[in-house]
Amino acid sequence: MPRHGILPAGTARLLAFAALVFILGAAFTAVEPRFLSTQNISAVTRHMAANGLAALGLTLVVIVRKFDLSFAGTACFSAMTIGYMIAGGHDLWLCIMVGVLAAAVVGAFNGMAISYFGLPDIVTTIATGSIAGGLAFLYSQGRTIFQNFVTSGILDLNDARLFGYSVSFFFLIALYAVAWVFMHRTRYGASFYATGENPVSAYFSGVPVRTYTMMAFVICAVTSVFAVVLILAESGTADTNKGATLLMPAYAGVFLGAALLGGTSVLATLAGTLLITMLLDGFSLLGVPYYYSDGVVSAILLTGVVLFDARVRQLFSDLASFIQPVTSASEKRS
Amino acid sequence: MTVPALCAKAVSKRFGRINALDDVDFVLEKGEVHALLGVNGAGKSTFIKILSGVYVKDKGVIEVDGREIDCHNPKDAIRCGIATVQQHPELVADFTGYENIFLGRESARASFLSGIDRSVLKRRGDELLSRFPVEIDLSRRIEDMSAVEREIIAILQAIAGDHIRILILDEPTSTLTEVEKEVLFRLMNTLRASGISILYITHRLEEVMEIADRFSVFRGGRMISTMTPQQVRDKNLSLAELMLGETLGAVFPEKAEPAQLGELVLDVRNLRHQRLFSNVSFQLRRGEILGVFGLVGSGIDELSKVLYGALATDAGSVELNGREVSPKSPAEALKAGIFLVPGDRRVEGLSLQQSSIFNITLANLGRASSFAGFLKRSANRRKSEEFAARVTLSPANVTMPVSGFSGGNQQKIVVAKGLFADADVYIFVEPTVGVDIGARAKLYGLMRELAKTSGVIVMSTDCDEAHGISDRAFALYKGRQVVPVDRVFTRNELLMAGIMGDATHA
Repeated sequence: MPRHGILPAGTARLLAFAALVFILGAAFTAVEPRFLSTQNISAVTRHMAANGLAALGLTLVVIVRKFDLSFAGTACFSAMTIGYMIAGGHDLWLCIMVGVLAAAVVGAFNGMAISYFGLPDIVTTIATGSIAGGLAFLYSQGRTIFQNFVTSGILDLNDARLFGYSVSFFFLIALYAVAWVFMHRTRYGASFYATGENPVSAYFSGVPVRTYTMMAFVICAVTSVFAVVLILAESGTADTNKGATLLMPAYAGVFLGAALLGGTSVLATLAGTLLITMLLDGFSLLGVPYYYSDGVVSAILLTGVVLFDARVRQLFSDLASFIQPVTSASEKRS
Repeated sequence: MTVPALCAKAVSKRFGRINALDDVDFVLEKGEVHALLGVNGAGKSTFIKILSGVYVKDKGVIEVDGREIDCHNPKDAIRCGIATVQQHPELVADFTGYENIFLGRESARASFLSGIDRSVLKRRGDELLSRFPVEIDLSRRIEDMSAVEREIIAILQAIAGDHIRILILDEPTSTLTEVEKEVLFRLMNTLRASGISILYITHRLEEVMEIADRFSVFRGGRMISTMTPQQVRDKNLSLAELMLGETLGAVFPEKAEPAQLGELVLDVRNLRHQRLFSNVSFQLRRGEILGVFGLVGSGIDELSKVLYGALATDAGSVELNGREVSPKSPAEALKAGIFLVPGDRRVEGLSLQQSSIFNITLANLGRASSFAGFLKRSANRRKSEEFAARVTLSPANVTMPVSGFSGGNQQKIVVAKGLFADADVYIFVEPTVGVDIGARAKLYGLMRELAKTSGVIVMSTDCDEAHGISDRAFALYKGRQVVPVDRVFTRNELLMAGIMGDATHA
């Protein structure tokens, strides 16, 4: 029986996940002992914050059973917007607000086009993503922006520590906690899930499915800006492909988490993001070129999607019952 | 004795717990027009779908020309000489008649490089058409053709393969006028004369009397009898008697006493939606169940959706509790106090992977949550368990995904959802499709219970159901409301009103 649920699935899956984290950590430590150093763990938590924030918004889009391929381009656009504003000497929080607003506009456009005008999600978001990515070049004709970055205070977002770890990690945990309550304990979360699972029945139950689909795209765009702000803070400069690296880890986090914990949920995405970040960090520590590690992450993403697909799991269970007819699964519905 | 064109022996088919077809024996002679009669769910559609390879039979033997065949898809059936024209033939609207007739066959001889040779298509199409006493301009596009012309194109397409010996027509006359029908019958007569056997589904006895050599009656998944029109004339039988047989009276709960009727809750006047139905008017009181009977395509599905706000009202008014309402969406209808138990519960009624609690509370999330939208989890669970007990959900587990329940129990969950939504008017559409007889009785009991405090409308393509569960009923025939004069319809009158548009034939 498929077990996508509003609740994170059973303890067995959580234990399996913990075991996987442990094995992965042990393997990396065995090859490169620096993996467990304070410095590296601090880096893992920082990178996890950026990846996790982008994946959080994407989780909502995947829950309403859509795809958003634009948020990386949108993040680039927002990064340059924020960089341009910082260079102009504006207050840091105002700069971030404007960046968030710019992304929200793109997200709202996506949502409108897809939910109200019924355009195909993948094509639409590829288009808006490249438009936004192109707009990112307008501020400086593609040149890197770094003016005022040191004095603006944005670097503190990267450097500030709490109990020895980056503040951004605690921000991530706090936002995930809020998202978990929102998605799994309120009527709004229930409506997101109802919209994704069966939009027709949700509509007949009085759920404004179009509004929820649109909101998912807006939230996805906004959290990708949160992620790119952390990237800006880490590098201290803004350039036109700052958000581009967000796409693959976010998808890998969402789908790997869903495959591990048996359904798309806030907690599953957090778990998936932890694994992906550990992998990426471990590879870079070992000096594996990024084009290999990207390949590995993409392969993992593909595996996650395949495992998440109900038909594939049905196939596996059919195979299992074929090999072991004694434990023949419960009678299948016609 | 000659070998029959088609012979079925002890053919059976089950869908889950439902016996759709039970030990059917059937013989189709060479060159005969054989009609199949029966109400919805009687099994005639399942039977022809097995013959045409859409479904695979569970048991039994089918022989064509004395040789056993085993069809697993429509292609197999066509290879065996069985062609089928569906109720709504799938033709390509912007192709011409010629192109449609030979669709998929154009390059039978030519190589794929030569493309479609239009002059060959035209010659072969004219050749085919010249065998029949009908006149059609095949160079016109399908979208410019009338209903009967399309039907004829579909038939020509079906018999374009020269080896076709058996033609199945699924309700070919349902959209035709009287004049058009004669054209179709002329074509059928010519086909019969050329030795092709025709199996023909219809709801109308007078057509059977006119065109069929023999006919068979299906009821409850069984083939009841095969007769000739002459026998019907001799014995003076009526269609209703043939199609309905015994009532399932025991399944239905007691009807309401006049004293139990409460105040007027719903007053519908001259409702219209596009050309699908118009001038529908009725009143509903608390304490009563109103039945609506109509065939597929009669407009009952659209009527339910207009009342529920999912389709637009083009004319007319709806008053709920004395106040005019015009819901623009199901959300508004729910707020006003109308709840729809939709016809296709798997598509329209439930989130199958979610729990019963999730589904039961979904239509009234305001009631399910408190301040700032936080779900009242323990209260929701308690309420869900209470409602699950009231609808006798089995197993009584409100946390497992609803996909694990049987059809009848899934329907009970939709009813529990309605209880939680707390409406004044409940509309049931096709409430017992795919529900076994035991769960059916329970659902009818639940409807009666709901009717104690609210108004209930039951819309069904099953005449027995619409009549048996309701206190009074009307029929919808091709979008036209057929109401009884000064009294309630008998079962036979309701059937005739729904399938002929006129109750006086009963």
